Amino acid sequence: MTDAWTLAAAGLAVALLRAATPILFAALGALVSDLAGCVNVALEGLMLIAAFFGVMGAVQAAELWPALPVWGHALIGGGAALLAALALALLLAVFHLEFGADLIVAGIAINLLAAGLTVFLMASWVGDKGSTAALVSPALPSLRLPGLAGWPALDLLLNGEGGRGHPLPLLLAPLAVAAVWLLLQRTPWGRWLRASGENPAAALAAGIAVKRMQYLALLASGVLAGLGGVYLSMGYVTLFQADMSAGRGFLALAAVFLGGRALAGTTAAALLFGASAVLATQLGALAWRPQLPQMLPPAVTLIAMALAGARRARRQGNRAPEISQRL
Amino acid sequence: MSATPAALLSLHGVSKRYATGTLAVDQVSLSIAAGQVHAIVGENGAGKSTVMKMLYGLEQPSAGEIRLEGQPVRWRTPREAIAAGMGLVPQHVTLVPSFSVADNVVLGQEPRRGPLLDARAAAEQVAETARRFHLPLDPRTPVSRLSLGEQQAVGLLKALHQGARILMLDEPTAVLAPQQAAALMQALRRYADSGLAVILITHRIAEIREVSDRFTVLRGGRVAGGAATRALSDAQIAALVTGHATAPQRTRASPAPSPRAPVLRVRGLSARDPGGGQTLEDLTLEIAGGEILGVAGVEGNGQSLLADVIAGLTRPGRGQVCVDGVPLSGQGDAGIRAARAAGVAALPEDRLHDGVAPDMSIIENVIANRHAAPPLVRRGLPGWFGALDLARAARETAQLLRDFGVVAASPEAPIRSLSGGNMQKVVLAREIALGPRLLIASQPTRGVDIGACQALHERLRALRDGGAAVLLISADLDELLALSDRIAVMSQGRLVGHFAAAQADARQLGLYMTGLRRDPQARAALDAPFTAVTPAVTAVTPSTLDEDLLP
Amino acid sequence: MSAAPPASRTSRRASLMTLIARAGARIGTLPLSLAAALLAGFGLTALVSDEPLRAWLALLTGPLPELHLGAQGWEARRLVLFGAAIEDAITLALLGLAIALPLRARQFTLGADGQMFLGALAAVATSLALAALPAAIVLPASFLAAMAVGGAWGLLPGWMKLRHGASEIVTSLMLNLIAVQLFRLILSEWMSDPGAGFIATPLLPPAASLGVLIPSTHVSAMLLLVPLLAWAAQAMLDRTSAGYALRAVGQAPDFARRMGLPVARTVMLSTALGGMVAGLAGLHVSHALLGRLPVDLPAGLGYEGLVVALLARNEPRAIPMAALLYAYLRAGGQAMERSTDVPREMVLVIQALIILFVVAERLWPRLAEGLARRRSRRGALPAETVEPAPGAVA
Repeated sequence: MTDAWTLAAAGLAVALLRAATPILFAALGALVSDLAGCVNVALEGLMLIAAFFGVMGAVQAAELWPALPVWGHALIGGGAALLAALALALLLAVFHLEFGADLIVAGIAINLLAAGLTVFLMASWVGDKGSTAALVSPALPSLRLPGLAGWPALDLLLNGEGGRGHPLPLLLAPLAVAAVWLLLQRTPWGRWLRASGENPAAALAAGIAVKRMQYLALLASGVLAGLGGVYLSMGYVTLFQADMSAGRGFLALAAVFLGGRALAGTTAAALLFGASAVLATQLGALAWRPQLPQMLPPAVTLIAMALAGARRARRQGNRAPEISQRL
Repeated sequence: MSATPAALLSLHGVSKRYATGTLAVDQVSLSIAAGQVHAIVGENGAGKSTVMKMLYGLEQPSAGEIRLEGQPVRWRTPREAIAAGMGLVPQHVTLVPSFSVADNVVLGQEPRRGPLLDARAAAEQVAETARRFHLPLDPRTPVSRLSLGEQQAVGLLKALHQGARILMLDEPTAVLAPQQAAALMQALRRYADSGLAVILITHRIAEIREVSDRFTVLRGGRVAGGAATRALSDAQIAALVTGHATAPQRTRASPAPSPRAPVLRVRGLSARDPGGGQTLEDLTLEIAGGEILGVAGVEGNGQSLLADVIAGLTRPGRGQVCVDGVPLSGQGDAGIRAARAAGVAALPEDRLHDGVAPDMSIIENVIANRHAAPPLVRRGLPGWFGALDLARAARETAQLLRDFGVVAASPEAPIRSLSGGNMQKVVLAREIALGPRLLIASQPTRGVDIGACQALHERLRALRDGGAAVLLISADLDELLALSDRIAVMSQGRLVGHFAAAQADARQLGLYMTGLRRDPQARAALDAPFTAVTPAVTAVTPSTLDEDLLP
Repeated sequence: MSAAPPASRTSRRASLMTLIARAGARIGTLPLSLAAALLAGFGLTALVSDEPLRAWLALLTGPLPELHLGAQGWEARRLVLFGAAIEDAITLALLGLAIALPLRARQFTLGADGQMFLGALAAVATSLALAALPAAIVLPASFLAAMAVGGAWGLLPGWMKLRHGASEIVTSLMLNLIAVQLFRLILSEWMSDPGAGFIATPLLPPAASLGVLIPSTHVSAMLLLVPLLAWAAQAMLDRTSAGYALRAVGQAPDFARRMGLPVARTVMLSTALGGMVAGLAGLHVSHALLGRLPVDLPAGLGYEGLVVALLARNEPRAIPMAALLYAYLRAGGQAMERSTDVPREMVLVIQALIILFVVAERLWPRLAEGLARRRSRRGALPAETVEPAPGAVA
């Protein structure tokens, strides 16, 4: 019965990818900004605003240009979503880099802003404070690879359930990981970004515009988080719900820490969190309480941080612990 | 203004005023010629660093003009300055620890293949520059593994690799031993002879004499004088730099330490600094009550680790620290408390970071070591929620300020409003308030003006005369020679020399500091013999001072 | 003495400016930030609503009670919203204290949410278990339970910071997520009332009641507790040796360590104290506001405690006022929603803008500089360019 097992495994893998994709995008954003020395706690809000404006943008496009095909409306919506996330990330960047606002506090403010703004606008434009279910909003186009009928497991993996293909963002996710790797390790800008975060004085003395690097890093994290948000409301689910991001932005931050602030570790951690979300639903199907597996990601992060700290303490031996560092 | 070769770089009436109102640089004019080494000299806070920042695009002048080859320039970013041919080796070399030497050297101007990095070309080019300028560095080594001196060489390599025509070095010899400094000076001379212009920022007269063609003195942000180096004698230069003739101080009428039990006894101490690379290897030293033991050494050879271990911050791997016969134990918070309870007080090296809480008031800083017990705690559980007697604290602080001659707006003012010298007086006052048995003084007069310097030295002597032991760690050999009764020399975490201060001089100490000589039996115990002193080849004669050579 | 009239005019203007500047420095830029945020919110409302002015009026005056001179003297009507503002303020003040105290010790823990949830659960469990006993036992026991559990949960980030060097921001966020799940698990598994129509604990016994101070509201005796706690916290900070240690550790941790201050103990004390107060906030919600605990108690209020702490500049004595201001805005939002077409989430937007403007330390100075520069271009002031002090990053 290997076919049934491989099929089941492929099914689980698909579920894992579906759950992990938004966290992965946000985690990539968190990593990029963290390496530049700016920890971005506003990922929740950025995802939320992108999710909202994706739906609204697509609906508006359908009203303005009904002649366009459905995927045209969806792409316009996606564009609107990324613009919205960019704008919000710019707000964060300006307030921190130009006006000296504390990055973490400003990040929390952005989260509150996004939460309030999305519900406010949704109530004003849709008349419903809970979700946009009353509207018909499109999904982003999916791509399917033809000719895989002979290999059902592979077909399931690459084309999703029902063979309709995976939505665009999910396919973009591994590309995003590759792109971030390329940027960080193989381009000068990646070097400049890392230098800005590790030793801004050295970067400045080398002629690198540290502030500009930090702007770019925050904007990039906005775009990446925006991709995650767009996937939420225009991927498998095609509506916006209040508080749709549901803590994924914070999990993304945890993934960066769990992964030791490196690309490979962060990706692995994001996949791990996706896996525990899948576990939660599977156990839920068995009538287990859903809260236990939902506690897994934060609990795992805590244990990992404790272990990492213990390892560091053993290496450092006799030093009194450092309490003046923030993040 | 003697006839000089055409100026390559010149400042005309340059001033810099910050938003806080501070006038850091006031109408400074000077000119730098190619093929020359020009020293900019001054005490801390005289404006040297600000001038250098303006020449590197890190700051812009508030008034005045900078000219390069006669054309006015205004560099808004370091990038523009680098492109114009400026090269800077800062005092605290700023490198990215996780990058390699080559990565750091090409940082900001990496060779590329299309949009991607060309790592091989970078390594090759950096190796080539290193060869050309005789700097023995392997481009692939991660910088975090290099010593301080090597890291500085990387900074130098970086400036040269970027094609600097005008090389600026800010206090480069602060982290080097006398012999390494001499090698650097020779290299600078070579670079100048090959056509570069070299600006050397320093406050050491020996360096001015050794390598510069001209020098300019800055004091209080203004040009206080300048000349061609060969035209003046050492003493004349010294007078110009300090603003007044100072006689070398060697007044030490100290009573001989009585052969009683040592206050501080360190035996076979070995330790490792978890953060940096410093280590201590099998150290033995003792200090008796009523004497000052000076510790000489190039920065980064274990002195700060020694201070931390004795103060209880770091636990030693092997060996023991005993105060009045009682061994100190415990680590972290407990270790520090044990040391303080045994009567150890300390003047930390980094005053602003470790010695004071800058934003808290003077009163709050003064009571830091007495806030948890009577008489400052009135009732309740001392150490937990005991109520503080704030009125008494204020009274005692005011008295203390008067006693130590500290001029402050009010005891409630934040302590960062005080000058370096006044701040250090407050720190010292606090540390000796409880009558310590041992005072560890690390770089006590760094960043302190001359008047406060003398007051601090007197207090240290008074503390010693009162029967306490003092461990004096200082990079200022003059200070060590003036205050200490005995001097121990550390190199690479070991004790390599032990001298009676009366028999030592800067040259001797320099030989041992660099490890050129070492006394394998050196122990700084009270009964240990002194290291034999090698006689000087030429006698050092003090030169006469001309009082009226002030500008 | 220069006799040129332009010079004397500028000097008078300059002295007036210094007077304003000095007064401004004392009040701080808080009113400016508030005004800016309200203005921006108003602009947004005007874009979306048909009656922005009416909405704004409702926002600003809605929560006030109406006073009528009736047959039996003054009566107050429309108390419900007013009461809601005060109830909110109590919860927010406690949450603000819960964040401000650790923050003074430089511990940026955002764990008030989780501490509140678990504290509430512990209090309800205690009250239900001791239901048969008189109030004199039930209430103190419930208070103790809330503080103990909240304090323990608050201790964790501090302990992990000291023992493992783990960032308290991340650990407290993770602990929040765990606490909320734990709350829902325990409640639905062991404490749910089968008789209720939804998943919630049984109603609290009368012995656990906190009384009602203002009729037809939920304002209880906790109202008196808040200023007391705030005063006690301020006194502790300013006048005890533990408070001194806490402030020193917060302002200059390396200095504090070298002075032999009990850093570890102080850090853990600060986060534990914060947790205890957050637990009390939870007790307020369960005992005074709701009378029971539903499983879907919404999370997120703890983060708004951060805003209150910010507005009060982390000074405990200013927290009750800051909480009142914040709660007033929220109640005003409800009034606005009820009487116009503007949803109350606009208040969240305003609150976010307030935070941004308040922590933007360089915003107002740069604006002032820009204005000064424009005025100098029209003459009179010297042409020196003034730049930010050295040390400002980037």
